[in-house]
Formats: sequence, C-alpha cells, structure tokens
Amino acid sequence: MSESAPTAAETRRIAEEARDRVRFEEEALQLSEQVYRVARRLAGSREEAEDLVQDTYARAFRSWQQYTPGTNLRAWLLRILTNLNIDRGRRIQRSPDLQPLEEGDYFLYNKLESTIADENPDEERVIERLSQNSVVEALSEVPHDFRDVLVLVDIGEFSYAEAAQILDIPIGTVMSRLHRGRRVLKRNLADKTVAA
Amino acid sequence: MQPYLDGVLSDAQVKDAWEHLEACPGCDKRYRFEGSLRRFVRVSADEQMRPELMVKLAELRHPAQEAF
Repeated sequence: MSESAPTAAETRRIAEEARDRVRFEEEALQLSEQVYRVARRLAGSREEAEDLVQDTYARAFRSWQQYTPGTNLRAWLLRILTNLNIDRGRRIQRSPDLQPLEEGDYFLYNKLESTIADENPDEERVIERLSQNSVVEALSEVPHDFRDVLVLVDIGEFSYAEAAQILDIPIGTVMSRLHRGRRVLKRNLADKTVAA
Repeated sequence: MQPYLDGVLSDAQVKDAWEHLEACPGCDKRYRFEGSLRRFVRVSADEQMRPELMVKLAELRHPAQEAF
C-alpha cells in the first residue's frame, strides 16, 4: 500500500517553512558578532564565551518558530544567552560591595588626574591613563547582577527597556543596577590606577 | 547626569541640563569625562569573534531539505 503523496498545498507549506527557516538562520547569524561581544564580557574566558554562543545558537535554531518575525531578534537571542548563562550556574561571586558608594563620582577622575604631572589636563589625557586591560579586568570583577545590566546597556548598547525584557526584570531594577554597576566599575578602575 | 548621558530625559529636562552644563565648568568637565569613559569602556570591552566560531555556528544550521 503506498502512502498518499503530499498535496500541492502541503508541498507549498513545507517549501515556505524551509524558506522562513533559512531567512531566520541568516538573520540570526548576522547578529553573531554582537551576541559574542556580550557573551565575552559575561563569561569568564574566551572558551566559555564561545561555548555559550554555540549553545545559544543551537537553542535558537531549534526553537526558531517561537520567534515572531519582525520583532527584536537581537534581544530574543540575548535572552536565550543570558538564561543559559544563569543555568550554567554562576562562578563564585563576591557579595556586592558593602562599602558606601556615596563618595562623589569624582573619585575615579581625581585618581586618574593625580597620575598626570600637568596641572589641569583635559579629560582625554585623563582617560589615556586607563588601559584597556584594566577596563576588562575591572568589568569582570563587577558582581554579576550589576554586570549583566552593565554589559547589555553599555557594551551591547541595548536600551533600558530591552535590557528589562532580556533579563525579565522591571525597568526600575535595570536603572538601579546600571547605576550601581557603573559606580562599582569606576571604583574597581580607581583601585587599579597606580599613583604617579 | 547619568540619564542625560543615556538619552532618556524629556526634551525640557535635556534643555535644563544643557543650560547647566554651559554655565558650570565643574559639571561640564565631569560630563565630558563620563562620556569619554563610556566610549573607552565600550571600545576596551569589544572583542572580535574567532572565524572558527563562525564556522561552528554555521554547522548548527538545519540541513537543507531535498525537494519532493
């Protein structure tokens, strides 16, 4: 007994689905650099970041039909990534800095400025006292709840609303964690700045 | 200052903030430092993907179906 052949409508449907899938995969892959950029700063090492990105895309390609075409694909992918990152379990975390952060935001500026001989340097010269390595290190030392938001907004260039959607937290929490995360980052950078 | 840098203030608030920065060199200096710092952090934190990773991601794609 032979199976019934697919109808013309069924064949068309399958072909359309295949096209949609290909389009989805291509659009998703175009975003891979941006996804990696965030992953690299959330993960502890390049290897971990690469694993995270691979797992993210594996899951994204499996559940592609859950994505609504035309909506924010970048945020959709980052949501998968951040959830996977949480599932993997956090590394040993320091508790968030309990020292008061109420000292003015000038402390990093003043610390950097103190390393320059010039009396009143312009701020570009002050920034040059930072090294890229110290930034990466300082960022990795920010407690993960703050770092997730900081990386999404300041490095991934997501909006507050997108970050809230990705992390599934209220927008007010995004703002407060962002604010605190930036202050911790600046504190870490100040600690790494060696006096002249 | 942070919301001003983040671009989330209303037009009226932006105007007020801008007028203050025009008049207050201390705040202006801090504002320009914050902006420079953000750009520097953004640049420092950027890392390129290895091409090998791109190959692995492409391999995750659904294999093309044969046409009926």
